Amino acid sequence: MSANSGRTLTTSGQDLAKNGNSSNNKAPWKDAGTVLQPTTPTRKPQPVSISAAISPKPQNAITIAVSSRVLFNMEKEQQIFEQQGMEEYIKYQVAHETESFSPGPAFSFVKALEAVNAQLRELYPESEELFDVVLITNNHANVGLRLINTINHYQLVIERFCMTGGNSPIGYLKAYHTNLYLSADPDKVHEALEAGIAAATMFTPDKMTEVSETQLRVAFDGDAVLFSDESEQIYKAHGLDKFFEHEKAHENKPLDHGPLKGFLEVLGKLQKKFYAKGHRMDCPIRTYLVTARSAASSGARALKTLRSWGLEIDEALFLAGAPKGPMLEKIRPHIFFDDQMFHVEGAAEMGTVACHVPYGVAQRIGDKPHH
Amino acid sequence: MVSVVLNTDVKQEDAGNAVVVAVTSRALFESGLEDDDAGVWKLSLAFPLLQAVQKVNDCLLEKNPAESLLLDVLLITTDSQHQKLSSLLISSTKHHGLGVGKFCFASEETFVDSLLENNVQLFLSTNKDEVQTASQKGVPSAMLEARKKDSSVSCQREDLRVWLDEDLISLRDSASEPGSRHSPQRFLAKLGEIRQRFSVSDSPLWISLVILHGSRENCGKRLKTLRSLGVSVDDVYCLAGAPSEPLLSVLQPHFRFNCCFMD
Repeated sequence: MSANSGRTLTTSGQDLAKNGNSSNNKAPWKDAGTVLQPTTPTRKPQPVSISAAISPKPQNAITIAVSSRVLFNMEKEQQIFEQQGMEEYIKYQVAHETESFSPGPAFSFVKALEAVNAQLRELYPESEELFDVVLITNNHANVGLRLINTINHYQLVIERFCMTGGNSPIGYLKAYHTNLYLSADPDKVHEALEAGIAAATMFTPDKMTEVSETQLRVAFDGDAVLFSDESEQIYKAHGLDKFFEHEKAHENKPLDHGPLKGFLEVLGKLQKKFYAKGHRMDCPIRTYLVTARSAASSGARALKTLRSWGLEIDEALFLAGAPKGPMLEKIRPHIFFDDQMFHVEGAAEMGTVACHVPYGVAQRIGDKPHH
Repeated sequence: MVSVVLNTDVKQEDAGNAVVVAVTSRALFESGLEDDDAGVWKLSLAFPLLQAVQKVNDCLLEKNPAESLLLDVLLITTDSQHQKLSSLLISSTKHHGLGVGKFCFASEETFVDSLLENNVQLFLSTNKDEVQTASQKGVPSAMLEARKKDSSVSCQREDLRVWLDEDLISLRDSASEPGSRHSPQRFLAKLGEIRQRFSVSDSPLWISLVILHGSRENCGKRLKTLRSLGVSVDDVYCLAGAPSEPLLSVLQPHFRFNCCFMD
């Protein structure tokens, strides 16, 4: 496996990952013309009419909560907060209230969710089974106007938000049936996971590769993300070869579920709605499993587990321990979930928006590979 | 017959600048249930509110011992039954050492007049009809909230937590005008002024804005309106039609005040 390169993504406290410079101001998806996979649907997305888009009821919708720092680039402001304190930070935000933030790492993901919604509305105009993107931030309400102005500027369909003024957002996440929470703050993500909410710490990639405008692509690591970390414990203790052996031996025993299984499930539910209307080949949602497991040995257990749960995954990529960055660069997911910072960093280096799921044994022992 | 009695156990505040908050006797005491030894009434729902008001006043005085912008609590009876029990109310209040500055003994027919005469800027009750009646006659009013013991909000328990919203379904305060002594705007401005005495992160008063319906446009407008009144809210929630009960149980406000935003 390749060694970790010099760049690191910090995960402690309030620090943000390094941000690419100029690419954030451009909308990368506009230049996506050269990247056409056979699976990309050619149907154009419908324009989202904001006045017509009424928010679905929380219990019907798939609620995706994003924090302000993953939706937008607030690096400068974050520095002011860290170096000069809360009062100066708020003063700065208010003084720049009419200036929009530039997009953050979750931005293209949110746009893709909107594109899926547009297509769902077209096929099922009465249904409330849609993505509902909610901004949940512990920012003070004084920053509210700037955030609202920025949402307006990009015409994002975000009608629900909670700016908690410093209180933990966890209560709100639970109260409003959040299906997935993305934040730049690993402590909040930890809290959310402890509370049983699927959550991940999102990092800004070094560069933003172009992603599809019409097809939402979500990539998952297997162990300790979709599945529990039971097998990963073996890998940590005894290495890759033992891991492969063990998995082959237990091929027919389904793994226990991991924190993001539920999110894959809701994606699958929406996919079936597209299939029902004849859109299997050009489904606007595509899911990927990107795992260190090997097709020859340990992969089967992963696939059989998914099958036993009644879940499908569109593409399963068994890397047998090879680095994930290059594969993800080919896939171009809007978002990638992994429990190991090593893989998150590797993905981000190559332009994938990668999120860390701080779950399982990798967090306790440290996530450098065993050999 | 309406009478006002001063509570001699409590320092009387400067009438000019104080914000008079009236609380009904039925909200403060569980009538009929007497403490065995003392023969006084047990405390009810409004007690946490009084504690929180006390805390705000204490903090204000700590910052400035000569502070005159304080919250002045008036205990008012709103029915003739309680009106007759004045001495019991006074003794119960004193027994519990409550920060009530004045007592006002009124009946169903006279209580609103009393509120107006005593320059009450906020009337709190557990009775919906009373709130409605008072509001229609021009007294900013709100229902007191029942509060859970174990709040998940990290703020200290005794902070005064105010929820501002604009419930479209509720009544419109047609009787009062923006400049009038009793308008909601004036109460909000006073609230904002008190909030300004404290910094962002260290305040015994916490103001939440909740936009129940409509879009974020609505929210932006309300924030601007409040700002123009001098009210800096701490947190803001835009629910876009989502139920408010979950938020209510997380925030645990002492009362919810309908802002009646004039568009």
